[in-house]
Amino acid sequence: MEERECAYEKLEETEEKAELLRNRFRLSVIGIADAEAKKQGLEIAESVVACISDLAFKFTELLANDVWLFAQHAGRKSINMEDVILSAHRNEHLLGLLRSFSHDLKGKEPKAEKKRKRPLKEDDTRVVS
Amino acid sequence: MENTFDSDLIYSIFKLAWSRKTPEKSKEAEPIDTEVARASKKNRSTTANSNALTVSCELLRIFVTEAVERAAIIAEAEGNGKIEATHLERILPQLLLDF
Repeated sequence: MEERECAYEKLEETEEKAELLRNRFRLSVIGIADAEAKKQGLEIAESVVACISDLAFKFTELLANDVWLFAQHAGRKSINMEDVILSAHRNEHLLGLLRSFSHDLKGKEPKAEKKRKRPLKEDDTRVVS
Repeated sequence: MENTFDSDLIYSIFKLAWSRKTPEKSKEAEPIDTEVARASKKNRSTTANSNALTVSCELLRIFVTEAVERAAIIAEAEGNGKIEATHLERILPQLLLDF
């Protein structure tokens, strides 16, 4: 009996959490959709934005499962950029967009990493000495 | 990039979806202490690197902008100044096939 109550409580807790995340997600979608509609010189009905937000949220959950399976299949426990790109494999244009986006990210990264690594090494030597 | 998603938000949604997928494991590791529970969650759950999350945010941003853009094309063709639900309805099947 106690186990069941525990399970119910946990379910409620995760539902509350999901609701909170859904609301935060909706806020981001409203920002993006409004900006995009303004760019097109059009207004956008609130119901449409709400609908897009729900769709995008479901899409996110599907994406989460996809990338998780991809990573598992590759024998990894952490999600890679490649997993996310692979999830868009059915649409060549989308694949291209994400590839170029990830290339831009990689281009920015090495400099930042070098800056981070140096102080870390100094810290290491301090600990050793 | 003006408007995009917060990668922390996306990460927590991912984690929620993953925790739903593995409910059996969570039953085993369900100590009374909440702090211990949090630690065990961290240990077993999958992680994502920050670049992967940034790319996911971009993918979702593209999804939303694409939906609005396509609906806008239909609205403009109808000479309507506002994007209504009927416009979204018309582009929805192809949009879902494309993502």
